Amino acid sequence: MAFVVIMPKQGQSVESCIITEWNKKKGDQVKKGEILFAYETDKASFEEEAAVDGTLLELFYETGDEVPVLTNVCVIGSPGEPVDSFRPGGAKAEIIETIEIKETIETVGTIVSLPVSLSAGSGSVSPRAKNLASKEGITLEGIIGSGPGGRIIEQDVKAVIESHPKTTPLARKIAGEEQLQPASQGSGLGGSVKAKDLTAPNPIYANDFEIKKLSNMRKLIAKAMHQSLQNSAQLTHHLGADARRMLELRRKVKKANDNGYPVNITINDMVCFAVVKALRKFPQANAHFLGDSVKYFNKIHLGIAVDTDRGLMVPAIRNADDLSIQGLSNQMREIAVSCRKGAINPELLSAEAASFTVSNLGNYGVEMFTPVINLPQVGILGVNTIVPRPKDLGDGAYGFVPYIGLSLTYDHQALDGGEATRFLKQIATEIENLEFEL
Amino acid sequence: MSTTFDLAIIGGGPAGYVAAERAGKKGLKVVLIEKGELGGVCLNEGCIPTKTLLYSAKLYDNAVGASKYGVEAKEVTFDFSKMMARKQKVVKKLVSGVGSKMKEYHVEVIKDSAYIKGRSADGIAITVGGQEVVATNLLICTGSEAFLPPIPGLGAPGDLILTNREILDLKERPESLVIIGGGVIGLEFASFYNSLGTKVTIIEMLDEILTGMDSEMSAMLRKEYTKKGITFNLSAKVTEVKGNEVFFEKGGKTSSVTGEKILVSVGRKPNTAGFGLENIGVELNRGGIKVDEKMRTNVPNVFAAGDVTGFSLLAHTASREGEVVVNNLTGRNDQMRYNAIPGVVYTNPEFSGVGLTEESAKAQNIEYRVAKLPLAFAGRFIAENEGGSGLCKVLIGAKYGEVLGVHILGNPSGEIIYGASMAIEMEMTIKEMEEVIFPHPTISEIFKETIFSF
Repeated sequence: MAFVVIMPKQGQSVESCIITEWNKKKGDQVKKGEILFAYETDKASFEEEAAVDGTLLELFYETGDEVPVLTNVCVIGSPGEPVDSFRPGGAKAEIIETIEIKETIETVGTIVSLPVSLSAGSGSVSPRAKNLASKEGITLEGIIGSGPGGRIIEQDVKAVIESHPKTTPLARKIAGEEQLQPASQGSGLGGSVKAKDLTAPNPIYANDFEIKKLSNMRKLIAKAMHQSLQNSAQLTHHLGADARRMLELRRKVKKANDNGYPVNITINDMVCFAVVKALRKFPQANAHFLGDSVKYFNKIHLGIAVDTDRGLMVPAIRNADDLSIQGLSNQMREIAVSCRKGAINPELLSAEAASFTVSNLGNYGVEMFTPVINLPQVGILGVNTIVPRPKDLGDGAYGFVPYIGLSLTYDHQALDGGEATRFLKQIATEIENLEFEL
Repeated sequence: MSTTFDLAIIGGGPAGYVAAERAGKKGLKVVLIEKGELGGVCLNEGCIPTKTLLYSAKLYDNAVGASKYGVEAKEVTFDFSKMMARKQKVVKKLVSGVGSKMKEYHVEVIKDSAYIKGRSADGIAITVGGQEVVATNLLICTGSEAFLPPIPGLGAPGDLILTNREILDLKERPESLVIIGGGVIGLEFASFYNSLGTKVTIIEMLDEILTGMDSEMSAMLRKEYTKKGITFNLSAKVTEVKGNEVFFEKGGKTSSVTGEKILVSVGRKPNTAGFGLENIGVELNRGGIKVDEKMRTNVPNVFAAGDVTGFSLLAHTASREGEVVVNNLTGRNDQMRYNAIPGVVYTNPEFSGVGLTEESAKAQNIEYRVAKLPLAFAGRFIAENEGGSGLCKVLIGAKYGEVLGVHILGNPSGEIIYGASMAIEMEMTIKEMEEVIFPHPTISEIFKETIFSF
């Protein structure tokens, strides 16, 4: 049974809406609740969700089309069902035209009237906005849109018009044709902007940046990071571990590599190995905080922050506690490569896939930072660079000893300061007493 | 003991009394100092008395020419002294009207000569009639007076030599009148006395009368008055005055003309001396007080408006300048604009204009398009002007079609020209003008008709 999606009537005075984006294409499977398309009125933007499951059989309008309200937009149904009877025709349009409702404009949706900023410049402009701007001689340059993805909608142009003093017809004409901007204070009647009050936008300062839409990945990272800080009680403890042992092991590995040993175990591999060992002793840190409960993991799934061209990815190494340091090292390398290639299994990227995360910025010389927890995990370890620090070597003798910085961010909802500190100390101890056979 | 004010105004003409009224209405404590009668030149010896007399002359003209309209008026005569008496009555009425307005807005009026003593931390000190007033702000609008050029033999104004002041006090109509200067003042008196049968001769130094107005229409008006009997000597320089005889040189030839009275109307000069301007160091420019677009002088808190700036010697300019001063004093940002000041010559027919003339547009290298239409295109004009002619000329910007100037010769152009002022002030283009509805049948329709002829 085919289901017809119509353009909703958003408020009494709205006669048509513009489709700003199709999230689905013809032939796509859609599930109830999925976004079919985004649309906007002159004041606000909305998204239309699918009300039923099925196949998107036909789209009657394209992105950018202005669709009268209550008109059929698309059809969801089973493949093969006829759709032509739903195609909007003259009859429907006639009905629309006879609906003549001219009441006071209702506030529809969220009206975002940003203060007029004469600096930005976003790519997309709604046809309504474009029409109004050209009619009023407003340059779109520099208007920050309040529509989806910074799209300039009619409301934004209206806000610009209202925030400016009145412009004389001549000034409007000239501004439109010569791309000039009205001054904020005019010299005409009642402060209206006259032709001589128009100025050319400064090409150097007006275009000193561009605005780009967020990639989907960036959106996800932004959302996750923001939510992490919003929804947890995170704080960071910093501590140093004597790195002499690790550096000694690293020298041995290098030497072995020179002699044909196949695994290049790095400092980071060693730290992760130490973290796994510490987590075994502190199961309360190998957990997810779920609000009213805590999920303790029997196994250790170690999340590794990987810097890629497309942004930060945090794949999980499942069952890291089952791995030798060589196995861990190999897995970490492979998983990083597949992340950078974009070939990583998406399931490993979910925050739920890992039970604890390590983020290493030591390579870049970072001495201390506060990593952000990948919720619902309860902790993340930031690994810093190795710096020489004075140490009591016994018998009143002091010397400089290499120390590796460790920054543990934990969710105070799940862990208290004492146990977090003991856990961090345990990691340091594991690092200082690391042992493995080559 | 001195009294302190927010605003002291020296000069009670159209700049001064309007500023006083506006400032008083906005709650400022205002003192208006005037050594003569309130109303200044405009009310007492300019706009108002001349228009009163010109109306009498027009009525007489109409009565004489009434038969064209099927009205027979036999043995039409006029009574010069009655005309003068009525003029006095009108002036008195309007002057007292200004007085009551000053009372209404609690403006203190001091009728005496003012002398600016200097500035102190308290404000600007002015002595007037033995008392001292101190004001935070001072508005100078001391106006202008008739300029008497250095012509050999030209005596002081009196019985024979007249300016706009003396000519309004004549007891009898002169048989002949020589007018030196074919500007607005000269033309209006010429028109009045010509109607009453006086032999009028105009001597103008330039090649056309009414400098600054549209020269094509100035020439049309001149021809109209030539037909009515006025003698025009253009490009003629007055070289000497001997008694009643005025000598002038034209094309290398010297001629002379004799008049019972001689009116000198070659221009006016700002009144800037004798009231202590120098005590506060106000800067002058070409004889007038130098002001910026907000009518500020070089001295803080000291403003000037009206003829004393020597800029646009018109009563309505003066009033608006006074308003600009008050607006800025009371927190409203305002500035003087001179591009849409209408000018009206109250001849019969009237001649009005606002904005750019073709001459001024050319001088400023402004590209324009022009459209002209005889007033006969307006039905009401034909109905009311038997055998009369007139012209409407509209200038628009070549590229955008904005109204730049409108000039109309014909009655009652003075009453409709403000519509063009608004169009220019609002920078309307002909596209907007085309959508404005004019009443039918009126002479104002000629404006719209001309717009549509582009």
